Amino acid sequence: MVDYVLSLILFIPLIGAALTLLFTKSRESARMVAFVSSAISFVLTIMIYLQFEPGIAFLGFQFEEKIGWISSMGINYQLGVDGVSMPLILLNAILCPLTIVYAWGESKLPNQFFALILVLQAGVFGVFMSLDFFLFYIFWELTLIPLYFLISIWGGPNKDYAAIKFFIYTHVASLVMVLGIFALYFSTGVNTFEIPVLLEAFSDIVSAEMRVGIFLALFFGFLVKMPTVPFHTWLPDAHVEAPTAGSVLLAGVLLKMGGYGLFRVLLPMMDSLGPYRSSIITLMAVLAVVSILYATFLALAQKDLKKMVAYSSVAHMGYVMLGAAAFNYMSVSGAMFQQFSHGLITAVLFMSVGVIQHSVHTRIIPDLGGLADRMPKLAFLMMCGFMASLGLPAMSGFIAEFMVLTGSYLTLPVYALLAMVGIVATAGYHLWAMQRAMFGSYNEKLGEPHDLANFEMIPMAILVLLIILFGVYPGSVMEMFEHASKIIPGVMI
Amino acid sequence: MNYIELASEFAPELILTIGALAIMMIGLFLANSQKKVLGYLATIFLAVASLVIVYRGIYDIQMEGILADSLTIDPMSQFFKLTFLVVSLIVVIASIKEYDGHSNQDEYYTLILLGTIGMMVVASAIDIVTMFIGFELASLSTYALAGFNKKDPNSLEAAVKYFIIGALSSALLLFGLSYIYGMSGGLTNISELAVFFNNNPAVLQSPMGIIALMLIVAGFGFKMALVPFHMWAPDTYQGAPTVISALLAAGSKKMAFVAAFRILLIAMIAIKIDIAMVFMILAIITMTLGNVVALSQRSLKRMLAYSSVAQAGYISMVFVVMSPEALTGGILYVMSHAFMKTGAFIAVAALGYMLLKENSNAKDVDHLDNFAGLGKRSPFLAFSIMIFLFALAGIPFTAGFVSKFILFLSVLEGGFYLLVIFAILNSALSLYYYARVVKYMYVLPPSSDEKLKVPGTYAVAILLAIIGVLAIGIVPEPFINWAASAANVLGL
Repeated sequence: MVDYVLSLILFIPLIGAALTLLFTKSRESARMVAFVSSAISFVLTIMIYLQFEPGIAFLGFQFEEKIGWISSMGINYQLGVDGVSMPLILLNAILCPLTIVYAWGESKLPNQFFALILVLQAGVFGVFMSLDFFLFYIFWELTLIPLYFLISIWGGPNKDYAAIKFFIYTHVASLVMVLGIFALYFSTGVNTFEIPVLLEAFSDIVSAEMRVGIFLALFFGFLVKMPTVPFHTWLPDAHVEAPTAGSVLLAGVLLKMGGYGLFRVLLPMMDSLGPYRSSIITLMAVLAVVSILYATFLALAQKDLKKMVAYSSVAHMGYVMLGAAAFNYMSVSGAMFQQFSHGLITAVLFMSVGVIQHSVHTRIIPDLGGLADRMPKLAFLMMCGFMASLGLPAMSGFIAEFMVLTGSYLTLPVYALLAMVGIVATAGYHLWAMQRAMFGSYNEKLGEPHDLANFEMIPMAILVLLIILFGVYPGSVMEMFEHASKIIPGVMI
Repeated sequence: MNYIELASEFAPELILTIGALAIMMIGLFLANSQKKVLGYLATIFLAVASLVIVYRGIYDIQMEGILADSLTIDPMSQFFKLTFLVVSLIVVIASIKEYDGHSNQDEYYTLILLGTIGMMVVASAIDIVTMFIGFELASLSTYALAGFNKKDPNSLEAAVKYFIIGALSSALLLFGLSYIYGMSGGLTNISELAVFFNNNPAVLQSPMGIIALMLIVAGFGFKMALVPFHMWAPDTYQGAPTVISALLAAGSKKMAFVAAFRILLIAMIAIKIDIAMVFMILAIITMTLGNVVALSQRSLKRMLAYSSVAQAGYISMVFVVMSPEALTGGILYVMSHAFMKTGAFIAVAALGYMLLKENSNAKDVDHLDNFAGLGKRSPFLAFSIMIFLFALAGIPFTAGFVSKFILFLSVLEGGFYLLVIFAILNSALSLYYYARVVKYMYVLPPSSDEKLKVPGTYAVAILLAIIGVLAIGIVPEPFINWAASAANVLGL
């Protein structure tokens, strides 16, 4: 079994999706089948996580599988994990079952709903596991379809616009990315789509312009997915309209695909960029800082709680970009950890907002007020999430941002200082929103809200516990990231 | 080569000929209610002919110059013949229900079989006169088929438009070919022509030669529905009976591609002038116009027609790049497109059939509004339409993705960056209108809650097309190799 464990993890959700879609008639059976299949994936992921040896080098893959697929073009079905992908696979394996539990009460077309979540999970697993660009691209595109439907069937009032905007933005970006992949394939001339081989051959491309063109095409694909200002506008729309489960997975794992691409594909290329390297780094740093500051201030101005959380996602992904741009071992592993930690934190935030929306039917901050009075459990868990998001020590977000900023200060001091301005405003909007929405006197117009149901509380509580756990003891996840980032060619140690 | 051997080489065509005649004769003795059996008969003939082709071999087969050097049997001809046969097979299966009880079923199936023979002759022809005759056989049959619903003014309009434009394009083509014939001193064999023009490049570069080439390009352009020769296609595809639209888009249009592959590629290599630029402009305009106009269509058949125009634009990139890889991609694209388009049209036809059965006065059954909530009314039909549309858009695990991937890759390899960027942007654009249909089917509420039951023969036809789309998408290797061996025939 161990030989094909990655395939099992990947395909069990897909099989689960087919079963849910075709054979479950009631809500009860649909969610049970969905939960069981994602739980099996989770257990298998934990198994390989425990067997994983972080010491083995970057691009030294474990649990590899390789089957020839379209051999005339050098395309294989090839999976494997290393220190960059293992924790993200874990993140995906954790978030999906929790999301399914959170959506336990979904009553609109439940079998389709849970099937789409499982397809999404499989797509994200595929992206993190693929070692072949063709396969990578297929899974990258596969994630679009379920989310498109999640938004356009279960979404809010303006769902059509949001769904199509999401689709077009990310699809165009991935087409540009595929151009980059094509160009990489041809200009290296190795006649294979294997990612590690292509990355090694990248430095052999003679023309520096070609190298930088390939880099930028791929960069654009990842940039839109992360997303980074100025290509972020699809994200708030998608989040505002998406159902909570969709938002959790969108912010929790889908955005991480962009960051993953950065670490998996682009950073190993960085050292071969020659004369363009410094300008690329400046570009990345500028985009990162603009994302952090701009999105933070936008978040400060939002009236819609969910939109605020969406913008906070953009800002937090800005730290990922900054850490990558600083290109030293500390900042890069911090950025990788930021991805992992933000996935957990943002899930709590979106779940909290979802509960509020569900319970008092609005999430406009000025209309709320004093919810802590009537919903103490929510207030506690939400407070934990917000504190983690603003970077309170002993929570995972603190470690990530601390490492990113410290690391960036070494190589990009000005940008790091600018980003720190963002930290202040970040604390500001989180606390201000909490204050207005949750504390103070209760707004009686909101009726009698019910506090968290068990199926909502359990996933949120688990996530908060994990956030604290990784905040106090980042342990093996951090170890994997550190090993992975030390071995990137040309990275400053 | 004696007659027995000859007959065995052309067994598929002969089977269809016998079939066509038999169906016509048997039809005389059957009451209208019994004529359904003719559909099954046609299905059997087409299936047997396809099996014979597969049995004869599709990869390593090379038979130059049969029947006074007019026909050949090579991987390319086998590839296209099988494509045409499968398309006709799917169309015939779907028609059984569509025309159940119709008094002219015998003519209908006879014409489909004859048209298929014509397409197969074109696929095999290495002689410009034979090729033209095949062209005409296929065209004449499809003119009649387009107007088959003779009480429906739209169908008649479609047929007349198709006929006039078709006749014009045949005339242009024939005129161009006659110049070639005259300039080469009476050569009709394509490979001999290639040798001749290689040795005498000045002939084709003379004004006369340029005019001849332009006439041929225009003639093929009409058949392939390249912009600006595309105006007939949307009207015809929309007005013709939907099952016949499938045959037109997937069969007779692709016949023009195989002919153009054989004639134009050789001619263009011979003259080595910058005709690539012409085709580049044609390709870019065709794909962009097709997609942009498709965006605003509310009739699904019309939308599919414009999407078909756009897809022809993608395939015509082959004439720009002219590399074996591009030709492989183009050939594979032809087969993929045949499955996707046939499937999509047949699925639309199935919906139209069911709606008309519900309410025989229904108008515009292919209007987008009729697709609202189809996911609830007929999950099977909605799901299959979704697969076909996603395949047309080029979503992974479908034939459309694989063939686009290979084609675009080859264009990039050829160094035509601008062209590939246009193609990719167009591909993104097209997703919008395909996804809109999917949205209608799954997101919008249905107009009535009554379930629609897809008739059995339609379901079989749709399933065949789905199998084709997914097989090429998931196990592309054998199909790529096959297309590559077909592309090798031209020896680029």
